[in-house]
Amino acid sequence: MYNRRIRGPLIEGNKTLGQITADVISPMEASPGLWWFIAFGISSMAALFGLYAIYITVTKGIGTWGVNNSVGWGWEIINFVWWIGIGHAGTAFSIFLLILRQRWRTSINRAAEAMTVLAVMAAAILPALHMGRVWLAFYIFPYPNTRGPLWVNFNSPLFWDFVAITAYLLISASFWYLGTLPDFATIRDKTTSKIKKAVYGFFSLGWTGSSRQWIRFESLSFVLGGIAAVLVVSVHSIVSTDFAVGVEPGWHTTLFPPYFVVGAIFSGFAMVMTLMVIIRKIYRFTDYVTDNHMDAIARILIFISLIMGTAYATEVFVAWYSGNEYEMFTFFHNRITGDYTIQFWGMVICNAIIPQLFWFRKIRRNWVGLLIISLVINLGMWFERFNIVITSLSKDFLPSNWVAYKPTIIDIGVYVGTIGIFACGVLLFIRYIPMMAISELKSVNRIGEKIED
Amino acid sequence: MTMMYKIGIFDEEDKFISSIRMLQEQKVTIFDVFTPYPIHEVFHLLKRKSKLPTAAYFFGLFGIIATLGFLYYTSVIDWPIVYGGKPFNSFPSFIVVTIIITIFTVTILSLAAFSLRSKLFPGRENTIFDIRATDNRFVIVVNMDPNDKSLSENAEKVMQDNGAIEIVNKELENVKA
Repeated sequence: MYNRRIRGPLIEGNKTLGQITADVISPMEASPGLWWFIAFGISSMAALFGLYAIYITVTKGIGTWGVNNSVGWGWEIINFVWWIGIGHAGTAFSIFLLILRQRWRTSINRAAEAMTVLAVMAAAILPALHMGRVWLAFYIFPYPNTRGPLWVNFNSPLFWDFVAITAYLLISASFWYLGTLPDFATIRDKTTSKIKKAVYGFFSLGWTGSSRQWIRFESLSFVLGGIAAVLVVSVHSIVSTDFAVGVEPGWHTTLFPPYFVVGAIFSGFAMVMTLMVIIRKIYRFTDYVTDNHMDAIARILIFISLIMGTAYATEVFVAWYSGNEYEMFTFFHNRITGDYTIQFWGMVICNAIIPQLFWFRKIRRNWVGLLIISLVINLGMWFERFNIVITSLSKDFLPSNWVAYKPTIIDIGVYVGTIGIFACGVLLFIRYIPMMAISELKSVNRIGEKIED
Repeated sequence: MTMMYKIGIFDEEDKFISSIRMLQEQKVTIFDVFTPYPIHEVFHLLKRKSKLPTAAYFFGLFGIIATLGFLYYTSVIDWPIVYGGKPFNSFPSFIVVTIIITIFTVTILSLAAFSLRSKLFPGRENTIFDIRATDNRFVIVVNMDPNDKSLSENAEKVMQDNGAIEIVNKELENVKA
């Protein structure tokens, strides 16, 4: 049982049920403020830059990117893995914590799930473009065709990846939408605007809150949660097999699946923290997302950071212990020393060392500290993917193949574009959808109170 | 056909639950209750159960068989190709796709089952007995028997005693649970 006296209330300020509704939907009622329009303008500009870069890529071809014969995977794959990793937080948050009955998830899961859907959408753009002729992307669907019918290679991790990402996007979007039903109904019944009533009424699908609906809703949440928990582990494991089945030094390792999954949850939790720190600051949601919530995320981040540090050490150790000269070269002369030291040490410092500052209670409860460290973690996770993709490809077995890699402005444009699309999506989300699950907040409002008496 | 309903509105979960309990002791048939969030005691008292987990199991079974069947058909029967010396039916490398498609099948079919059983789909307008049930009120709806006045009077008294803030009678058409 949750003991409030030891852990503090999940929602502070002795709210009534009506107050919770009013507080959560108030940002949607009021005008969003100047900062929102400025942020949306900047994000749209970034998205437009991205669309321009995509236009150039589609009309002129992959040659406009920095990739070459040796480094066949460049920024697009780095950013794809980075975004997919961020996209793991929503599922990890809402589903692992749902199954483990961690009730503090209720204040954060809606935002985390929204972030997941948007991050996976941003991620999906990149491999699609990387196919080269994106208008033929439908070839990857296994459908009866006039080419034989020739089927896709079901043994290929690249095909698994396509299946996993498509399924992940659809499943996380449905799980997220399911959770919004009772809240849309609340807005439908609460609002005075006719347009809002019609729109939210349509999307609430006729929700009434009857006991029959609630029991089905709860069991559906658990069914979806239970099976989607497998997805968190499988999707990024599959992304890691894209690399691990290759023979490149530094890729061909059985450590990859757990290493990638943990890294994904790491970057996802960091991104959730970035967003929640900003949202609770702007909308003064500190009663709902309390210091204890942020503290809990920070503690998880310390733990994952230790796993990441262990994984980095293991990789280096195994390269040395295997005695394989190519592995030795990649790790000791191309990562720890050599041309890519900034990225390697950046990764180690940002992911394994700086998050250790969360051992200090003062930093766990300081919003500036949380914001900076969470951003540093996401930078570190980007370095990690750069390390994996670029260092192995640029200097592999044959020195005559060695090539340096540099992104072009088009690569940068596509990346900035995905960030812009993601940011636009987040801004629209905080404007039009309740940022926290209202009905779930109500169910934890008085939790643990009876023990106190 | 119109039916009469007695609607009791409560502002506290405890009063609401003890009222359900006493109504059941008095043998009053409760049509349904409406709450802003799920309350497990209510499911227990009204004996609400969901068969969705069982259904989901069969959806999963269907997903596994259909996916493996499809992979076997395409890779062994329809267009066999040797990839890196592996057998046509290279089962271990089919597992990943099977897991993902099974999860996907379960999700889609469970959502469809939920939507059908709970009668929730776009544009649907279910009867709302009290608009505040999605905000901060707990609502009990009791069927009124026109032939037995004493039962409905009894229901009213029980709800009053348990601290209902409002009790109204409503005549509604074609309400389905």
